[in-house]
Amino acid sequence: MAFDKIKPPISLSILVLFGLILLLLQLMSSATQESSELSAMYSWLLLVNALGSVVLLGLVGANIYSLARQLKKREAGSRLTTRMVSLFVVLALAPAVIVFYFSMQFLHQGIDSWFNVEIDRAMEDALELSQASLDQRMRWHLRQTQQLTSRLVDSPETLVTLEMENLRQLSGASEMTLFSRQGRIMASSSINPSDILPSLPDEHVWLQLRRNTEFVALAPVREDELMIRVIVTVKTREPQYLQALYPVPIRIADLADSVEFAFVRYQEMNFLRDSLKLSFSLTLSLVLLMSLLAAIWVAFISIRNIIAPVKALVKGTQAVASGHYDRDLPVTAQDDLGFLVESFNEMTHRIARASAATRMAGIEVENQRAYLETILANLTAGVISFDTVYKIRTANQAAYRIFHVHVNQFVGRTLLELVQSYTELAEPLKSIQRLLEQADDIWQQRIAFLGPNGRQELLCRGTPLFSQEGLRVGAVVVFDDVTDLIQAQKNAAWGEVARRLAHEIKNPLTPIQLSAERLQHKLADKLNDIDAGILQRSTTTIVQQVEAMKEMVDDFSEYAKPSKKQTVDIDLPRLVQEVLALYVLKSGVKFKADYDTGLLMVKGDPVSIRQVLHNLIKNALEAIDGKGLIEISLHRVQKNNTDFIEIAIYDDGPGIKDEQIEQIFEPYVTTKARGTGLGLAIVKKIIEEHGGAIWVDTSRRLPGTAEVSQSIGNRCDKVGAGFIIQLPACNF
Amino acid sequence: MRASASNKTSLCSALLCCFLIGLLPTISHADTPVLNVVERFGVEVKNAEFTLQGDSYVLSADIDYRLSTRAKEALKSGVPLYWDIHIKTLQQRDYFWNKTLVNTGIRYRIQYHALLNMYRVRNEGAGDVTNFSKLSAALDSMSTIRAFRVMDTATYAPGERYAASIKVTLDRDALPLPLRPIAYVNPQWYLSSDWTLWPLTK
Repeated sequence: MAFDKIKPPISLSILVLFGLILLLLQLMSSATQESSELSAMYSWLLLVNALGSVVLLGLVGANIYSLARQLKKREAGSRLTTRMVSLFVVLALAPAVIVFYFSMQFLHQGIDSWFNVEIDRAMEDALELSQASLDQRMRWHLRQTQQLTSRLVDSPETLVTLEMENLRQLSGASEMTLFSRQGRIMASSSINPSDILPSLPDEHVWLQLRRNTEFVALAPVREDELMIRVIVTVKTREPQYLQALYPVPIRIADLADSVEFAFVRYQEMNFLRDSLKLSFSLTLSLVLLMSLLAAIWVAFISIRNIIAPVKALVKGTQAVASGHYDRDLPVTAQDDLGFLVESFNEMTHRIARASAATRMAGIEVENQRAYLETILANLTAGVISFDTVYKIRTANQAAYRIFHVHVNQFVGRTLLELVQSYTELAEPLKSIQRLLEQADDIWQQRIAFLGPNGRQELLCRGTPLFSQEGLRVGAVVVFDDVTDLIQAQKNAAWGEVARRLAHEIKNPLTPIQLSAERLQHKLADKLNDIDAGILQRSTTTIVQQVEAMKEMVDDFSEYAKPSKKQTVDIDLPRLVQEVLALYVLKSGVKFKADYDTGLLMVKGDPVSIRQVLHNLIKNALEAIDGKGLIEISLHRVQKNNTDFIEIAIYDDGPGIKDEQIEQIFEPYVTTKARGTGLGLAIVKKIIEEHGGAIWVDTSRRLPGTAEVSQSIGNRCDKVGAGFIIQLPACNF
Repeated sequence: MRASASNKTSLCSALLCCFLIGLLPTISHADTPVLNVVERFGVEVKNAEFTLQGDSYVLSADIDYRLSTRAKEALKSGVPLYWDIHIKTLQQRDYFWNKTLVNTGIRYRIQYHALLNMYRVRNEGAGDVTNFSKLSAALDSMSTIRAFRVMDTATYAPGERYAASIKVTLDRDALPLPLRPIAYVNPQWYLSSDWTLWPLTK
């Protein structure tokens, strides 16, 4: 801004420039006048003006070039500039060229009119007249001098000088000299006594003299003084020459001079006629060229200034179109264009404000969304939203955790598409899909399926979504893995039942047993053998059954009480070895143990873990009926970034029926004739109390029997059964 | 003073030449008479020598003036022609510009007088005026330079190398104004000689 103030306005610069050009042209024009003092600088002025024209030409050329480039690049405002410049050039050029043409015509005609044949002849005549006049005078002087020589011939040599003086005075000559034949001065007389040395004729004169015996010529003695030099031969014994210098009368000399000057001037002008025309034309052309070029250049500058706001507007519009609202166009003038620019600025500001507000709102919405997403991601319940065609739109982390399928796999696919990729999830996914399609209202459903970690139970709750117009736009399904919860509820219920049963049943059992024994003891002697036998058998039965009941009640109480009493580091391979050591003696059963190398340690109660192993081995032994193969393997596995020790126990018994798999870990579920059905329930309880999991490994089938077992359903001979336990490993 | 003026003039001449050659190539053609025979013109320095006369060096030179047809026409039409005989003595230096010791010259004016039908030669420096009825005689009078005192022996230092140079130019800036632009572009007016340089020995 400060710089703008210091800078002179462009119009002032232009005025100064024009002034300078005019001055230069005026100077050059003045210099054209021969008499002017500037004429010595004519060449310089011509050169300066020519250089000025070249510079202006360069400026105009540069402007045209830059305009052409802008035009080629289709830059903003270039076409308008071109049109305006062309218009200006045409408007300026046409009258200038017309004026120039007629000026040239007038100039040439004017110069030609100076010269014509009459003046030419008159000039020559005038000169001839003067020459004739002078000639006549010369001849007269010649004759006069020739007459004088006769007197010299007669006079004796000693008196020559004196005679000369007389003769000079008589003839009116200004100087008279007598030369010998060799050109030696013999006698001399001058009107001016101070002139000691007489005027000497040059070699040409002598040459002419020897040829013609006499010589007469006009001689400019000094630059502005005309003399008539007459030399005649004095016809003495030895030829002598008499030179006489006669002054030309001042009036005649002046007239002759004037005629000569005019003649020479005219001759010179005539000679210079073409040069003069050329010179004037050159000056005129330079004036035209320079003023035109200056005008065109100034036109370029002015037009550029006028176009500048339009250009800025175009650029601004382009910027706004491409989304840049921060352009503030400078308001250069308070005219209509300035008003336009101001309005444009106002408009861009408004758009910028509006777009900023929109952006802020967008950010707000985005923040809200991120907030909701964070909440959703951190929910324990899985949440999946669907669009109208049941394609998954979003799914949270919990969904992944529950289904063990990554969220990315969910989005954009339908549940049925997922079924094809994840066959193990076929059952719940199909169920959810069915429910989604059927339900018009909020629905809730428990869905149980066999997941990779065994039986899983989901509590699903679906809500169809409607738009404001009442159209169905999708649905949201929230599901929770309630497997553990249900199991815990079941366990708690069973534990309570077991505790009560144990309490209620165990109390009367001891009096029943004691009463039976007492009956036996008191009545055995008093009865006959038959009755005594009956009594004996009955009491024995009662006592045995009571014992059995007691065992059962003990099992119950065992199941009900918490198993994890103390926590120590257990070396699983060693424990397994110890347990197996109790069974290896059994004939007909082969044990196969397979351990990973390295430490396989878990944290837990060794007594409970030992019981787990006992229960499972017993279960296997019962399944194979004392004859077959039992495999035990210990592996280190990783799941959800946690190390687990996997204990797998397989037998080659008849296997477990599919419908039993779901309930096999529940109390009182048994396939055996004898047994409380609590063995596996206790195992599961202990494992879960240790933070582990147990499930039936359905994947393992003996070779060649898998298809048979599937096709014939319940008859699962020799397919074998397997249990997998996973316990959190100890990390050292 | 004279030297700078002459330098300025020659610079001006050169620049003007450049411009006129570029801008108005037609001038020379318009003004040149069509010649069937190749005309030889120009000025040439035939002999030039320095001789010791007393304690001064004097110049003796013979110059051959051959005027072009155009120049003769101009002269005959009363246009005065000015001739400059530039005389310089230089001290030659190996690693530096040559030093100009003396820069002098003679200026002649030759003009035709129609009334007397004579050519008048004037030595502008000395003011001598001589009239000649023939052009050749007038040119001859300008062509012979005898015993022109150039410099003292005092300026001559032993052990240094000296050179003398001479050049004759037609002063185109002294021509009538309309003729000047043409004189810069028309070869008919390129009458100046080149520099004649010769070593100066004691």
